[in-house]
Amino acid sequence: MSRAVTPQRKAFNTALAWLIGLLIFFPILWTVLTSFKTEAQAIADPPIWFNFNWTLENYFTVQERSNYFRHFWNSVVISVGSTVIGVAIAVPAAWAMAFVPGKQTKNLLMWMLSTKMLPPVGVLVPIYLIFRSVGLLDTKLGLVIVLTLINLPIIVWMLYTYFREIPVDILEAARMDGASLRNEVIYVLLPMAVPGIASTLLLNIILAWNEAFWTLNLTAAKAAPLTAFIASYSSPEGLFYAKLSAASTMAIAPILIMGWFSQKQLVRGLTFGAVK
Amino acid sequence: MATQHSRTAARLMISPSVLLLLCWMIVPLAMTVYFSTLRYNLLMPGSNPFVGWENYQYFLTDPAFLTALVNTLLLVGGVLIITVIGGILLGMLLDQPMWGQGIVRILVIAPFFVMPTVSALVWKNMFMNPVNGLFAYLAEFLGLQPFDFLSQAPLLSIIGIVSWQWLPFATLILLTAMQSLDQEQLEAAEMDGAGAFSRFIYIVLPHLSRAVTVVILIQTIFLLSVFAEILVTTNGGPGNASTNLTYLVYAESLLRFDVGTGSAGGVVAIVLANIVAIFLMRMIGKNLDA
Amino acid sequence: MGRITLDQVTKSFGAVEVIPPLNLTIDEGEFVVFVGPSGCGKSTLLRLIAGLEDVSSGEIRIDREVATHLPPAKRGLAMVFQSYALYPHMSVRKNIAFPLKMAGMDKAEQDKRVDYAAGVLNLTDYLDRRPGQLSGGQRQRVAIGRAIVREPAAFLFDEPLSNLDAALRVGMRLEISELHERLKTTMIYVTHDQVEAMTMADKIVVLHAGVIEQVGSPLELYHTPRNKFVAGFIGSPKMNILEGPVAAQHNASAIGVRPEHLASSAESGTWEGRVGVSEHLGSDTFFHVHDTGLAETITVRASGEMPLRHGDRIFLTPDPDKIHRFDAEGLRMP
Ligand SMILES: Nc1ncnc2c1ncn2[C@@H]1O[C@H](COP(=O)(O)OP(=O)(O)OP(=O)(O)O)[C@@H](O)[C@H]1O
Ligand SMILES: [Mg+2]
Repeated sequence: MSRAVTPQRKAFNTALAWLIGLLIFFPILWTVLTSFKTEAQAIADPPIWFNFNWTLENYFTVQERSNYFRHFWNSVVISVGSTVIGVAIAVPAAWAMAFVPGKQTKNLLMWMLSTKMLPPVGVLVPIYLIFRSVGLLDTKLGLVIVLTLINLPIIVWMLYTYFREIPVDILEAARMDGASLRNEVIYVLLPMAVPGIASTLLLNIILAWNEAFWTLNLTAAKAAPLTAFIASYSSPEGLFYAKLSAASTMAIAPILIMGWFSQKQLVRGLTFGAVK
Repeated sequence: MATQHSRTAARLMISPSVLLLLCWMIVPLAMTVYFSTLRYNLLMPGSNPFVGWENYQYFLTDPAFLTALVNTLLLVGGVLIITVIGGILLGMLLDQPMWGQGIVRILVIAPFFVMPTVSALVWKNMFMNPVNGLFAYLAEFLGLQPFDFLSQAPLLSIIGIVSWQWLPFATLILLTAMQSLDQEQLEAAEMDGAGAFSRFIYIVLPHLSRAVTVVILIQTIFLLSVFAEILVTTNGGPGNASTNLTYLVYAESLLRFDVGTGSAGGVVAIVLANIVAIFLMRMIGKNLDA
Repeated sequence: MGRITLDQVTKSFGAVEVIPPLNLTIDEGEFVVFVGPSGCGKSTLLRLIAGLEDVSSGEIRIDREVATHLPPAKRGLAMVFQSYALYPHMSVRKNIAFPLKMAGMDKAEQDKRVDYAAGVLNLTDYLDRRPGQLSGGQRQRVAIGRAIVREPAAFLFDEPLSNLDAALRVGMRLEISELHERLKTTMIYVTHDQVEAMTMADKIVVLHAGVIEQVGSPLELYHTPRNKFVAGFIGSPKMNILEGPVAAQHNASAIGVRPEHLASSAESGTWEGRVGVSEHLGSDTFFHVHDTGLAETITVRASGEMPLRHGDRIFLTPDPDKIHRFDAEGLRMP
C-alpha cells in the first residue's frame, strides 16, 4: 500500500519480511553452501556456516559420475522444444478464440483446461505401452511430444488472455491495409504480444523443466533430464550430502537464474494472465 | 470481426490444438478403459482374458485404495489451506512499504523454480534426516529428541515439502491481486469508520476471491498428481501411509506390472478427478466471467 | 473508380436484424456522411462496405464489380478508425508504409509515397517516432496518412474525430475537407455529430434503426426534411415540434419550427411564454421558453443583445414561410 507509514513501522515490516523471505529461501541457500563443502564438513556437528574450505570438487565428481551435461542438455531440449512447439500450435488457436469468438469459444477453452485435469496416472499405462511399442521410450522426442500436449492447454489459455488485451481494431486495420492472415499475425499480432508470449514461454519452460511424472516414468539412462538425473541420488551411499547438494544446485541453477532475470515477465506469467 | 473468411480461418487455426488434445484424451483413455477389463500382467505374457469388473473389484476393495484416497484429499486440502492462508498473510506483508522489497520477492519466489525431485531430496536428507538433518541438530540444540519425520509423520512431512514449493505461487498471485486493489476504496471505508479488521473482511477478501479461485484451480490440478515427492522421499510408505492415488496406480502398473489393476485404478482416478473438476469448473465459471 | 452501390443489403446479428433491406448509391468522388443516433447501425454499414463484416443478404458493388464476398484486403478501400488503430510497435514511417509493404511495393517507391503523404499531413518531423509519442491530432493524421498512400478507391472514416478535443476537431474537420478537395476520392464518413455532417458532406445519409430516413445535400435536409425524425435530427438546436390545436390550425398532425425561424419580442407576438434557461453564445442567445401551452419547451434563437432574463415574459412569432407540416405518420406534407 502506497500510504505513508512511520519509519518504525517500515523498519518492522522490513525486518519481518526479510526474516520470512530468508526462512523460505534457506533450504536453497543451505544446499548451495553445502555443495562447496567436503562430505565431512557437510554433516559436521554443529553445522558449519561459512568458514569451511570452499571446494569445487563435488561438482567435478558429479559431472564425472553421472554426466551432468548430458542430462542438462536433455532438459534444455525437452523443455524448450516442447514449449516452442506448444506455442507454435497455440498461437493460431488463441488468435481464433480471442478475435473470432463464437458461442462455443468459452466451452472450448474450458474443455481444453479440463484435459489438464486428466490425472496422468490415468493414461500412464497406455502411453507407456504405446511408447514402448513405437520405440519412443527413453527418447527426447517422446518427452517433447508428451510435454507439449500436457502444457498446450495452459499455453492456449495464457496466449488467449494476452491476445484479448489487444484491440481488434488494429488487426482490422491490418486487414484493410491488405495484410493476409499470415502477415496480420506475423507483423501485427505477434510483435504486439511479445511481453505476453515471453511470459508464456518462460513459465512453460519452467513447468516443463520441473515436470517430474512423465520424465521419471518414460526415461531411463539415455534421455533422462535433470529431474530423473537427480532422482538417482535418492539412494544413499554413505557420505553424500555435499555431492547431493552439488547435483541439486546444478539441476536448479539454470532455471533459478533464468527466473530471477526475467522476474517481471514471470510474475505476469505466473498469474496465468488471470489476475491483473 | 466476423466474416465467413475469418470464421473459416478461425476454425482451421484452432483445429490442430483441438485435434491433438482430443487424441491425447481419447486414445489413451480408451486404452485404459479397455485394459481395465483384462487380466493383463506384463510379467505374464500370453493371452489377456476379459475379466469384466474383476480389476475394479480388486482395486476398490483393496484397503490401500481407501488409504490412498484419504491421503490424496489430505494432501491436496492440506497444501491448499497452508498456501492460501500463508499466501494471503505473506502477500499482505509484501504489500507493505519496506526496504529491499524486490530482493525479498526474489527470495520468496525461489522455491517455485526448484524441481520436485530436488526439493524432496534436499528436505529428506539435509533437513528431515533424523541423524544428520538440520532439524535433528536443531532438536538436539534445544534439548529435544530428534524426530524421524518421514517415518513418523510421512504424509505431514510431504504436505510440508509440497507447501514449500507452492507457497511462492499463491503469494505472488495474491500479492498481484492486492496491488490492484483500489486504494480509494480502502480510504473510503476508513472514512466510513471501518477498522483494519472489517476493512480486511469486507473489502480485501472479496477483492481477492478471484485470485484465490485461480490459486485453488491451478494448484489442485498439480496437487492431485503429486508423484515425485513421494517417490523420492518415502516410496509411499511406511506401509501405505503416504501413498496417494497417483502413486498407488503407478505402483500397481509399473512396480507390480499389473496393467489390468493399474488401469482400473487409472479409471477410478479419472472419475474422481472429474468430480473435483466439475466442482472447480463451476467455481471458476462463476468467478472468471466477471 | 470509387462508385459504391448497395443493393438490398441486410445485416443481422443472430436473430436481431440491425439493417433491414437497404439500397444506396455513392457516386465517384462524393463526400458522403452517414449520420444518426448512437446504435443506429452506422458503423455496421461502414464495416459491411469495408468487408470487415459479411452481409446477411444483398449485394455490394464497387466500381460495378461485385464485392460482396471479397475480403477487405481485395476491395481497394482504406479505413480510418475511431481509435486510430495505429501499429504501436512501428514508427510513424513504418505505419504509413505498411499497406505499401503488404502490396509488395519496392522500397524506393514506398519511401517516395510516405514522404509525400507526410508532407501533405505535416508529419515530416515525426516520421521516426512511435505512435505512443504523438498527440491525438498527430495520431489521427498518421491514420489518414496510412489511408492515403494506398490511393484507395474510397476512404472510410468511422467517427475519426470523436477522440479529439473541440478545437482540434474543428481543425481536423477542415483538413479532411481540404484533403477531399485535393484528392477528389470518394469518402464515406460516419458521425453522430450533425454539425460535422452539415459542414463536410456533399451528401448526407440519415440513418435511424438501420433504415435510411433520407438522402440529400445538407441544405436539402435542412430545408425539406422528409419526416419528423430528420427534421429533429438535422439542425442545431433541434427544431421545435408542436402538436395539437396549433398544428390543426395548419391542417397538419404536427408542425415544426426551427429556433432560428422564430422572432422573439418582450412586448407582442403570436405565442406567449416565460423564459427558462438561456444560453448566451455572444453572437446569439438561445432561450428555452416554457408555459406556452404548446409544448414543454420551445427553443428560440435571438440576437446576443436580447435583454431577457429567467422568468421574464416573452412573445414568439413563427416565420409563416418556414413552418414544416407533418402528417399523422410523421411524413412531410407539401
Ligand atoms: N457484433 C455484434 N453482435 C451483435 N450486435 C451487434 C454487433 N455489432 C453491433 N451490434 C448491434 O448493432 C446495432 C448497430 O451498431 P453500430 O455499432 O453499427 O451502431 P453505430 O450507429 O455505429 O453507433 P455509435 O454511434 O454508438 O457508434 C447496435 O444495436 C449494436 O448493439
Ligand atoms: Mg459506431
